[in-house]
Amino acid sequence: MPMATSGAAVRIEALTCDHGPVRAVHGVDLDIGPGARVALTGTNGSGKSTLLRAVIGLHRPSGGTVAVDGHVARTGRDLNRRRRTCAWIPQRQAAGAFPLLVRELLDTGGDPAAARTAAADLGIGDLLSRPVSTLSGGQLQRAHLARVIGRVAAGAALVLADEPTAALDFGARREAAARLLGLGATVLVVTHDPELAAACDRRLEMAAGHLREVV
Amino acid sequence: MNDLATLADLLAMPAVQRAALGLLAGAVGLPLVGVIIVGLDIMPVRFAMMHVALLGIAVGLLTGADPTLCALVACAAAGAAVSPLADRPGGLSGGMGLLMSLAMAAALLLIAVSGVNAASAFALLWGSILSVRTTDLAILGALAVIVPALFLVFHRRLALLLHDRELALVSGVPVRLFTLVLLVLVAVSVAGAIRLTGALLVDALTLLPALAARRVGTSLTSISLWAVAFGLLGTAAGFALALLSDLPPGPVLVLTAGLIAVAVHLIPERKRPWQHTAPRSGSSH
Repeated sequence: MPMATSGAAVRIEALTCDHGPVRAVHGVDLDIGPGARVALTGTNGSGKSTLLRAVIGLHRPSGGTVAVDGHVARTGRDLNRRRRTCAWIPQRQAAGAFPLLVRELLDTGGDPAAARTAAADLGIGDLLSRPVSTLSGGQLQRAHLARVIGRVAAGAALVLADEPTAALDFGARREAAARLLGLGATVLVVTHDPELAAACDRRLEMAAGHLREVV
Repeated sequence: MNDLATLADLLAMPAVQRAALGLLAGAVGLPLVGVIIVGLDIMPVRFAMMHVALLGIAVGLLTGADPTLCALVACAAAGAAVSPLADRPGGLSGGMGLLMSLAMAAALLLIAVSGVNAASAFALLWGSILSVRTTDLAILGALAVIVPALFLVFHRRLALLLHDRELALVSGVPVRLFTLVLLVLVAVSVAGAIRLTGALLVDALTLLPALAARRVGTSLTSISLWAVAFGLLGTAAGFALALLSDLPPGPVLVLTAGLIAVAVHLIPERKRPWQHTAPRSGSSH
């Protein structure tokens, strides 16, 4: 499996996203170079997660474009191709209703061996036979991080992480942040964690659907 | 002893043998379809398909084509047609209500306008296990092979899809195609089980074993194995009871499967190793 070394370039132009009658993202423009680690901060409901979901194709934008490595996804097939280059850590920590074992979660990431090694490194190597619904929030976040490490090892070049350290204790946050930012891929991370934001190359802030660079 | 001898005598009859064979095949494939129904949380789909099956039967009676095959085609087409609704949260539930009403209205209209014997159409809804034919056995046999094969080949992707549709989507699982295939399988299963339990009682072979299995299994694999085990147990016990008591097999099968599901839910949950130490919470520990 090829190892991502430089990451993907992301170009967002005039992106607008709505939740029914509510506009969540207002004409956002953003350029992220290959391998850049970008923190997306802002208050709850400011549109951070919606922006992230639009990049990976979980939210259909009302306007504007998202290009990953120059490719704008115009069809479902294009979106599937994009998703194969992405790794995703969801914000929603509630596990799905139907049971899934931790090892099954890790094995569906792309490189099961790399994911399992990462899981052991992150201290959850003994939890592989447990349903993910029995994990604590922190354990589940570590499992998702290990899965993302497996996905990047399998070739994913863009990591989209939505509050990946929110449920972790301080020590684990630092370790998770170091692992996430050391992946060698482009990283766009939504976070309220000041340390993680500070460790990124760039910090952006969303407020009421508008994006600005924090210098 | 007398009961066993009676049962053996009954099982020597060709019609009973065909019914037993159909039930055996059904008990392998249909509980797995029930696992899909539970996993995708699409219980209203069954009701809609039961009504669509009636429409198919009405078309069959009107045109002279095989009613079971017509029901099967109608259900498969309906399953495929509604699958895009699964993309929207709660989309299937609303769509099923519409489909259910339209299918039932169309079926009743067809029956009224064409002058076909309505009793024949409704009889199939209640099942006629001793009149199981080669076509029914072929459908059930195909389901008994195809469904476990799909579970084996696509285990990881299926487990991820049933666990979390969005995570499956962003992981490259062809979610729409899988959903389409799974919904068609659910629909075909309802149609295929028509003669065994009747379209209205198909839950005996699909949902009830899966609900019991969901209680004791901790993964897709263990839930699937338990579902088939409960399906085989309920089917064998229910059919034997119906034969020995000279009762209609459909309702007896449902009651037996239902009793098993209730009994499994009444058994105190076994403590797993992690339950001694790790309560589910929103924070790390």
